[in-house]
Amino acid sequence: MKTHLKMASKLRSLGVIGVFALAAVFSPLPSLAQVKGGEIVIVQGSNPPSLDGMSTSSQASRNINMNIYETLYGFSEEIKPIPILAEGVDISDDGLTYVFTLRKGVLFHNGDEMNAGDVKASLERYRVVGATKNLLAPVKDIEITGDYEVTFHMVENTPTFLEAFSSPRAPAVIIPEEDGATEAGKNSFVGTGPYKFVEYVPDDHVTIERFDDYTADTRSEGIDGFGGKKTAWLDRVIFRIIPEPGAQVAALEAGEVQILEQIPMPAARRLESSPDINLFKNARWAFTTFIFNTSVSPSDNVKFREAVQVGLNMEEIMAISSEGLYTLNHRWQYEGTTYDPGMIGAEYYNQADTERAKALLAEAGYDGEEFSILTDSNIPQHGRSAVVIAEQLKGMGINAVINQVDWPTALNVRMQDEGWNGWTLQMGIEPYLGPVGLIATLASPARPHFVKPDAELDALYQELIKGATVEARQETFKKIQAHLYEIFAIIKVGDSGLMHAARSSVKGFIPFRFPRVYDIWLEG
Amino acid sequence: MTTEAASDTLSIGREIRLARRRRRLTFVRRLLAHPSFLVGFVILVLFTLTALLADVIAPYAPTELNYRFILAPPSKEFWFGTDAYGRDVLSRIIYGTRVSLRIGIYVVVMTGILGTLLGTLASYVKWLDGLIMRSLDGLMAFPGVLLAIALAAALGPSETNAIIALTVTFTPRTARIVRASVIVVQGMQFIEAAYAAGAGHARIIFRYILANALSPLIVQLTFVFAVSIVAEAILSFLGVGPPPPAPSLGNIIADGRSNIQEAWWIAVFPGLVIAVAVLGLNLMGDGLRDILDPRHSSARDRP
Amino acid sequence: MIRFLIYRLLSAIPVLFVVTLVTFLIMWLVPGDISAEIGGIDATAADLQAIRERLGLDQPLWERALRWYGDLFRGDLGHSYTLNRSVIDAVLERLPVTLSLAGLALLLATIIGMLLGILASVRHNTWMDQGAMVTALVGLSIPDFWFGIVMIILFGVWLGWLPTGGFVPLAEDPVGWARSMVLPAFTLAITQMGVIARMTRSAMLDVLGQDYIRTARAKGMRARTVIFRHALRNAMIPIITVVGVISGVLLSGAVVIETVFSLPGVGRLIIGAIQRRDFPIIQGGLLITACVFVFVNILVDMAYVWFDPRGRDDD
Repeated sequence: MKTHLKMASKLRSLGVIGVFALAAVFSPLPSLAQVKGGEIVIVQGSNPPSLDGMSTSSQASRNINMNIYETLYGFSEEIKPIPILAEGVDISDDGLTYVFTLRKGVLFHNGDEMNAGDVKASLERYRVVGATKNLLAPVKDIEITGDYEVTFHMVENTPTFLEAFSSPRAPAVIIPEEDGATEAGKNSFVGTGPYKFVEYVPDDHVTIERFDDYTADTRSEGIDGFGGKKTAWLDRVIFRIIPEPGAQVAALEAGEVQILEQIPMPAARRLESSPDINLFKNARWAFTTFIFNTSVSPSDNVKFREAVQVGLNMEEIMAISSEGLYTLNHRWQYEGTTYDPGMIGAEYYNQADTERAKALLAEAGYDGEEFSILTDSNIPQHGRSAVVIAEQLKGMGINAVINQVDWPTALNVRMQDEGWNGWTLQMGIEPYLGPVGLIATLASPARPHFVKPDAELDALYQELIKGATVEARQETFKKIQAHLYEIFAIIKVGDSGLMHAARSSVKGFIPFRFPRVYDIWLEG
Repeated sequence: MTTEAASDTLSIGREIRLARRRRRLTFVRRLLAHPSFLVGFVILVLFTLTALLADVIAPYAPTELNYRFILAPPSKEFWFGTDAYGRDVLSRIIYGTRVSLRIGIYVVVMTGILGTLLGTLASYVKWLDGLIMRSLDGLMAFPGVLLAIALAAALGPSETNAIIALTVTFTPRTARIVRASVIVVQGMQFIEAAYAAGAGHARIIFRYILANALSPLIVQLTFVFAVSIVAEAILSFLGVGPPPPAPSLGNIIADGRSNIQEAWWIAVFPGLVIAVAVLGLNLMGDGLRDILDPRHSSARDRP
Repeated sequence: MIRFLIYRLLSAIPVLFVVTLVTFLIMWLVPGDISAEIGGIDATAADLQAIRERLGLDQPLWERALRWYGDLFRGDLGHSYTLNRSVIDAVLERLPVTLSLAGLALLLATIIGMLLGILASVRHNTWMDQGAMVTALVGLSIPDFWFGIVMIILFGVWLGWLPTGGFVPLAEDPVGWARSMVLPAFTLAITQMGVIARMTRSAMLDVLGQDYIRTARAKGMRARTVIFRHALRNAMIPIITVVGVISGVLLSGAVVIETVFSLPGVGRLIIGAIQRRDFPIIQGGLLITACVFVFVNILVDMAYVWFDPRGRDDD
């Protein structure tokens, strides 16, 4: 909704020509304005760690890969599983068999037609190299039951399986059978998507070009989330890697590039009224969180953690860490989504109550012990929220110090039970995936982010994934929300957004979890 | 020993002491009369005073943040504007000079000690020469920035580790300079005379050789100081400098670089401060070289 | 000359050996490894262990070192963990960028620096001398990466004359290559330009004061002939020494400039590898960079011999 509001205000400033162009952006039907051909350059800050779609969960990879590869099932614009390469699925009443039928005539970039053999080979490979291979843990085996049909036999009934299987986090993409035995990162980068891989020059660019024999899914009118009817208008798309945000903006303003995956907010405000540049707000991009280490002093004390929770001024942390693009939200879901738990926990949120914090600290017997905040220099929001949190903690009388290291070191340190007390983390894709994806990072069998497993949360997590109906799961999630505000092991700071920017010659761009470079075109 | 001889020795000793003091006085006088040394010296004094008196002259605490004043342009309240946290840039720069100065001094002292030690050892102990010099060549074969980044990544970003990384990077060249000048001095006649007179190794090294090899070392260390200040900024720019929230001139620039068009003041002012500080040190180095190194100063005096 | 060359090449071997030892030391010190990057943020300890085993990271460092040296003797520097190519390919495809940058910067620094220096020495003790030396000193004192950021805004965005960053291969588009290199090379050159200007000036003043130059002048030889044929020729030795030192400094400085101008050079390759813990790239990249450095130094030494008047007889 916010995007539309934003666009409405832009419409006023752009005048008549802009109105036509922008009307085309939001028109669900193909319009005459679409132009085939041309090339655009889209910028992101870091190299894709891998162009092997299934073996990585990194955003920098997903941005590119989701234009090259497709999955059997994926999320729609409304975050519901929809068939993409699958024709559909039949789930037995006991939930123990899933029969997937495949779309016929879908071609890989190498010209071969996709069939059941490719699907089985891809998913067997996923079990080995998939970055979130646990999502196939409920599947006992995969059987080819026809040229265009595969059947999953399940270990046990898992009502949330199809949602997990549709996850774009490390997507279970379908690749040719020949690549089935390749090591992670060593496949031929052949998929079924509207664009095919051309070249990758690390630290410089990844080039993809239109796959002319792409088999569009004609079941819908246009694109829908990760699926729908996709049309590649552009001849070539170049993903350029520019690490410096300032240089990214400079390149956009100079017209050397057409889209920025992320534009710093101060630059966005400056360019708001520029006729050459359009801004696209992705308000629900990530949760800003602050995670405690519940196994070491002083953060092992729940009173201490409660003190921090009520003492923090979330508005200040969010305003600075997100550069002003944020929503205050105490919920462990986005407001108004299926699992929105309502006002549970709101009384602890954004209190900025230093006095109460000090009283709780006294109650906890806090004696000025060092409180070490782990953060990294690679993701700017992490560092910024650590700085603001540390300053606020000092105001409460907590001896907070910042330990800023690089990202691999941070991941290494937080895997250790000692040596850190708090950790700043942006959760991007987890909240998007809904409650299961989010709570999975806090409950066994995974190592919880806050280190020491919480038996009650583990039980609630099992209840959540086994919940037979949406209503049952909603009830469970409310309990989880309430419990998270009892143990204070992880603090929800707020929802932060992401601003994309594009030259006004780029038409049809709709912000999403990754930049969809199909169904966008250049003004003729 | 007769009294005459004793008084002779005494008077000679006094003569030498007086001569030395005179020399020292003329040295200081010549330095202060040297215009570029003087300008550089004044800059360095101002820089040092700023660092020492930071608590008194900074209008705000360097880490005090306020989200209502994010990216405020220079004004009466904030002379150099505010940064993305709403912190006063001027106060951060004032406190940041402390970090730069501290890094500079530590690197100079450690480089000076290690460089002298290794350089003297290499020139004095024949069988160590090859080993030391090849190791130093090896360190010098790394691009300095990469070596410093790798070390900083290995040790973790902190002021101390930045100092260690920079010392490792700058020591080889300093050691080479010491070694070269010691070798020159070693060949001189007065050293042979000292040996003939039965002076011990330690005495000769400290009293004669090092004393005479000092000039090029001092000049080199002035430049090491200057380069350290820039190197801190480079390390911060690449994300391995002194960590937040404490300000350093480098991490202020690093904080401001993505908003350079919207809030030029964050990156521009500390950059200028670095440039002026480095300029001052270079001017001082020039002055020292002119006066300590007669070959160069004679070149200057020629028509 | 040949004997000298062979001697220099042989003496480079222990130096490069030290380089490899130091790199292993760094890798031993560095916390974390690439498993977290590959496994992602929610990988379990077992997942990470499996990745380490696949990459051989679970073995003790001395074993990895021995295997690495063994491979090195067969001319194999290994494969990158993340870039999907061999270390040699990864470095060689970047080398043209770094060498273009450092080479052009050297050229700019030498030409501008020497012109400033000659100007200052010939017009000694005039406002031109002072102006040239202040310029040199300011250039010497400006932090170059900071200057680069300012240049991007000025020439890339406000004036729009030059690209804001990125690299165009020379073979693909020579004009684009030149345009993409102007700002980075100039930025990188600015500090060293000051060094060369100062060195040239003092070397020239040395030579200009000598008797044979005075004689030549007294004989009424044209000033330009005196300066360029005689004085400069003899001032070249100290200048070449400085240029030699600078080549190394430029290779090092290129690392930062590549980041500022988003150039895919060797420096950024290695920085990225350090940040990702891509050990084979760190190891091989630093070794190859060191080789280039040593090779450049040998070239400089040979130029030194070439210009040394004692080594030639036509003076």
